[in-house]
Amino acid sequence: MPTVGNGADLAHLHLLLNHFPTIGTILVFGVLLIGLVRRNEHIQKVGFEAIFLIALATLPVYISGNAAADVLTGAAGVSTDAIATHNDAALASLIMMAMTGAFAWFALWRLRRNGRLTNGLTWTVLVLAALTIAAVSLAANLGGAIRHPEIQGGQYAGLFGSATGGSALISAAGVRNYESQHPYAWPISETLHFIGMSLMFGVLMIVNFRLVGWVRGMSFASVHRLLPFGMIGFGINFMTGMFFFIAKPEQYIYNVAFHWKLILLMLAGATYLVLTVYDEAWALTASAEASLAGKLLGGSALVLWIGVMYFGRMLPYIGSSF
Amino acid sequence: MLTSLAHSAFSTWLLQSDSIWAYPIVLTLHTFAMMVLAGAALVIDLRLLGFADEIPLPTVVPLFRALWGAFAISAVTGTILFIATADTRGRQLLFWIKLALVALGLVTAVMIRRRSVRGDVEAVAKSDAVKRLAIVSVFAWLAAITAGRFLAYIP
Repeated sequence: MPTVGNGADLAHLHLLLNHFPTIGTILVFGVLLIGLVRRNEHIQKVGFEAIFLIALATLPVYISGNAAADVLTGAAGVSTDAIATHNDAALASLIMMAMTGAFAWFALWRLRRNGRLTNGLTWTVLVLAALTIAAVSLAANLGGAIRHPEIQGGQYAGLFGSATGGSALISAAGVRNYESQHPYAWPISETLHFIGMSLMFGVLMIVNFRLVGWVRGMSFASVHRLLPFGMIGFGINFMTGMFFFIAKPEQYIYNVAFHWKLILLMLAGATYLVLTVYDEAWALTASAEASLAGKLLGGSALVLWIGVMYFGRMLPYIGSSF
Repeated sequence: MLTSLAHSAFSTWLLQSDSIWAYPIVLTLHTFAMMVLAGAALVIDLRLLGFADEIPLPTVVPLFRALWGAFAISAVTGTILFIATADTRGRQLLFWIKLALVALGLVTAVMIRRRSVRGDVEAVAKSDAVKRLAIVSVFAWLAAITAGRFLAYIP
């Protein structure tokens, strides 16, 4: 199995990707605002799509941050408290970002059903995006305080107070403690992870079988009300998966199977967005056959999710870090 | 007999080989089959419970095919996994409960399939009897997954 990178590469990736949730969310907030002011649904739609993709990309930002922390721990002039505080702020940002992404997807799904956007939903996403920007800015500021000697003399380096790990509303250490004190938390999360996976794959099967042509005689649009169940399955697996990672990061950070799982997860997640917004698919009547592009989309979505499952199940065997 | 199965040359190879083509791939195929089997059943159940009722019931027949194909894979891989750990699994009550739950899920699937492809399908789909079957099916698969997962953690 080709490796994705060593600790330094992952730390490098963290520095590259962390601009998506920070700068990216600010830009998309602007796009959404313009869409609202101009009453232009198309611009709003672009904003929702971009937020969903940024939320997806935030997952590897958080994950690679743990590798960066591992590489930096023990280096001269680096405070482990500063890292822990940044980590907790990053966790809060990840949760905010995921909620914003979920609501953006919900807005796109509603648009698909009603043919028009409701202002209430756009405002909800806008407010969530604003809160996410606040959370991510805090995390970014605390991250910059870990090792950037060139800004330490400035008045904004410690803008959000000094680093005191453990005082946050939600903390990685708190999650780890919870897991170590509740022996059934892990098996219950594993059970939920498998149930979420089945629920999501069931929805993916009927949707993508229709595109590929294995299911015929129904319009594509008739699957509409099933899509949120796929999203619920994804949400369950996002939460339980993060619980595993935060409780035992050492099992995952350098695990090559985990790296491939994440790469496939990014692509598979993107196919879920494409399925939601792909006009040609939604126009398919009961008897119509999807174009070659539609069939390829349906087939690749199934293959990608099976790949995510494969590397997930193989985590203890390919990466051998358990 | 359980012990001799677990101590057979095949079991020793399966459990002790370093190759991912031994125990890991059998386990992964079992998981894949579970995902397809429970996934197909759950999405059919959702349809019967009234979600996405624009989907004509007879069109979900390919999902039943996926369900039975997945069951075939899970039966074969499950048997292999059982042989390898027969002495511990065979004595776990939870293991037999899991098999009973899978059987319940499969019987329900047969009953649902029989009612959803022939006759006045749409009237049947709206009937309380089919909705009750769908609820039993959801329970059976969620409980079977739970039992299967906990087998790995309960001694």
